[in-house]
Amino acid sequence: MLQTQELQVNIGPQHPSTHGVFRMLVTVDGETVVDLKPVFGYLHRNHEQIAEANTYLQNMPYTDRLDYFNSMANNHAYAMAVERLAGIEVPERAEYIRVLMVELTRILNHASAVGFMINDMGAWQTPLAFGMREREKILDLFEMASGARLMCNYFRFGGVARDLPPEFIPNLRELLVALPAYIDELERLLRDNEILLQRAVGIGILPREVALSYGVTGPVLRGSGIPYDVRKAEPYSVYDRFDFDIPIGKVGDVYDRFLVRIEEMRQSKRIIEQVLEQLPDAKGGHINPKARQNVRPPVGDAYARIESPKGELGFYLVSDGSGKPYRYKVRAPSFINLTPLADMCRGYKVADIVVILGSIDIVMGEVDR
Amino acid sequence: MPEMSPAELRARLAAALPDALVDVAPLAMTPPPAHGPQPGMFHPPDPFVHPDHLVAAALFVRDTLGYALLSDIAVVDYLYAGCFELVYRFYHPSGGPGIVLRVRVPRDAPQVPSLTPHWPAANFHEREAFDLFGVEFVGHPYLRRIYMWDEFEGFPMRKDFPRQGDKYLGGDE
Amino acid sequence: MMEPPFEIEIPRGRVIEVQRDDSRVRRGGGLLRGMAVIWKHWKESFRLNRSYSQIHGTFTIQYPEEKPRIPEAYRNMPILLYDDETGHELCTSCFQCERICPPQVIHMTQAKDPATGKPVPAVAEFIIEYDACMSCGFCAEVCPFDAIKMDHEFELSTDDHAQLTVHKAQLNRPISYYASIAPTMWAEVRESALKKLQGNIRRRPDVIGIAPHLTERIAARRAELAAQAAAPSPAAEPASPPAPSAPTEARKLTPEEKAAKLAAIRAAKAAQAGDGVTPSAEGGTPAEAPPADDKAARLAAIRAANAAKKAAATDAAPAATGEPTTPTPADDKAARLAAIRAANAAKRKQAADSVDTEEGS
Repeated sequence: MLQTQELQVNIGPQHPSTHGVFRMLVTVDGETVVDLKPVFGYLHRNHEQIAEANTYLQNMPYTDRLDYFNSMANNHAYAMAVERLAGIEVPERAEYIRVLMVELTRILNHASAVGFMINDMGAWQTPLAFGMREREKILDLFEMASGARLMCNYFRFGGVARDLPPEFIPNLRELLVALPAYIDELERLLRDNEILLQRAVGIGILPREVALSYGVTGPVLRGSGIPYDVRKAEPYSVYDRFDFDIPIGKVGDVYDRFLVRIEEMRQSKRIIEQVLEQLPDAKGGHINPKARQNVRPPVGDAYARIESPKGELGFYLVSDGSGKPYRYKVRAPSFINLTPLADMCRGYKVADIVVILGSIDIVMGEVDR
Repeated sequence: MPEMSPAELRARLAAALPDALVDVAPLAMTPPPAHGPQPGMFHPPDPFVHPDHLVAAALFVRDTLGYALLSDIAVVDYLYAGCFELVYRFYHPSGGPGIVLRVRVPRDAPQVPSLTPHWPAANFHEREAFDLFGVEFVGHPYLRRIYMWDEFEGFPMRKDFPRQGDKYLGGDE
Repeated sequence: MMEPPFEIEIPRGRVIEVQRDDSRVRRGGGLLRGMAVIWKHWKESFRLNRSYSQIHGTFTIQYPEEKPRIPEAYRNMPILLYDDETGHELCTSCFQCERICPPQVIHMTQAKDPATGKPVPAVAEFIIEYDACMSCGFCAEVCPFDAIKMDHEFELSTDDHAQLTVHKAQLNRPISYYASIAPTMWAEVRESALKKLQGNIRRRPDVIGIAPHLTERIAARRAELAAQAAAPSPAAEPASPPAPSAPTEARKLTPEEKAAKLAAIRAAKAAQAGDGVTPSAEGGTPAEAPPADDKAARLAAIRAANAAKKAAATDAAPAATGEPTTPTPADDKAARLAAIRAANAAKRKQAADSVDTEEGS
């Protein structure tokens, strides 16, 4: 009998498909994965300790850099946490603008996440370019509103930094005309592709019964069939005023997560349309005029979480009464979503690891902080 | 959507696991200033659990109360008060606001039983707490550093870790 | 542990299960559907697409021949503004941007009045480390004088690292430049910024605060101030002790007016207390003059000596006639101070002479 030997193979940290500097120590028996140990820390910038040295307002641009794909979502969660801690209210128009920005972020994140995942499968940049296409238009919108494409730094305590410029809404309406066709096209490009089906169906299954116990959230959890979405579970901001559905998957494999993301893009578009209908006029104010940006919250703690495109993003802030946070903790979705990575990969081939990692959709800025 | 206030949670825990609950005094985060207004004391309403009964309390929360989503384990270093506080945050899959359990351990002997063998969601949270604060989770299957390299000495997020300059950053310059 | 299926009520929405298999597609058909999408895009790629509402067409911008449209709010690196007309920088060195900067890359020193050593609302040196700047825009947001704004220039690559520590000379831009790149944003703050600038200009002595590269403007200003100092203005009545005409409106005084007022008060006190004191000739040390502390006395002596050098040709008569609306430079202050003292001395001498002549005749 031929004896096989288990070999430990190192994937990363420098790797085009690991979504950043991420290292995996994979124990393989032939081509089949026996065990997988993720190694983090290559992008660890000690963000939490930097935040303890800065004032609350000075932390806002640093939160942009956590999940650097979705800076608006990070800003939102942090602004909500500080507002909860300091008791600052947000005017309605500002809430609607915030929801608008986060839903646009969700569309652009899912589009590029899908693109990157298919790129990792070997489809080599075509779906990636398709995914990035409308992302560029949304980034132009962000640039119009906040001044920067990726590191938006747009949210302030009590509202947003600046009101929407006059050319924003007309451009957004034009974009909404194009979005359904775009999402349909992205789906049609890939959905029934036989190669994709071979590489995604039945791969990386996270069974429904154990999905909750792993603590995963976001499209990974919903792909496994559990309809938990923070926007519906504990509605924050003005999400309780919108009608939208929650897509869930059946099996919990890579294909389900892909389809869930596509469908979530459609639901985000629905939310944006409702925001545009209900947006209060400019007199509403884009920021609470009584809100001080150099907050000195009373002693206490607060936790605020949002449904970021990657999962549940939460900020836990402890205040000691001064202008700087005493403890600032980020509950990063990508970090926790990696918990079941080893179990999801066991038994599959080495080539599937990259696909499974792509379907979890991680960003190392968040994982390592 | 189920909602449970901290008082209700405390009552239910007291009924089911009477030894688990601990009463704690309000905590001063910083030494009192020489003059000027004194900041308040920190006294959260959530129930505090004794470390030895932590696993039982967490499993009670999951199995009996149904809060099956462990979202976050946060560690806070209260240097002046001399303790670490761990904040466990649970959510119900049907939605609604979550519940919080807190554990306080002394700073010089921070051992807490690990939830990971029973609840895999705690895995990376506990490794991060160990790496950055030095809280030891007894029973964790793979308690290694997660961010810093394995041979690193010191626990960076502790309040007494030198912020600028230590043996790794050339502190003696 | 909650057993599936979960009963979860979702408000205002449904839970939808994604459709996995599409029975309409034959085997091999999926690839062809994808190729159909690509084919359509390829066909359409021969026309330009510059509209948000279309998804087909080429929207590539041929950089660097074509530049992208940059919105007004775009922020890249900070710049400092100075006024086109007067040449004055808007920055007063209030340190708000330095305090708020998250990576702490702004450093500045406040300008000081060379005569008194007091801080002046102008900035002496201003340094921004462009290589560490996050372009967050906080400095522009908090500036109370709208002096620091975010530029649109993004082609900053260089192979000289030291060049990225940018000093005030490279940071200065005229307001017209900023108004051209961000007209709406500047229009919102223009009035208040210029009003504050006028107030600051009044408090800035000499040429402090004028952007250093405007050498002709600085030279012109210096010439103007020198002309004002040297011009033999007709002697006002020396009997009015607050010799420079007092400001008629209630507003803050320029440094020169303040010094003149102080000198006038001291002179008045000296006149009261120093009756019988030997009238000091012009240029003599006013050691008996009222300033009790040594420093002020020495300072006054130095000024008197300088004024003596300047006004050596003319006689001691002229008193300054500083008009309240034009700020006079600090070095004229000394001349006027000496002139006032000389005038008072002359008055006393005149009184003494008249007494003498009365007695002596």
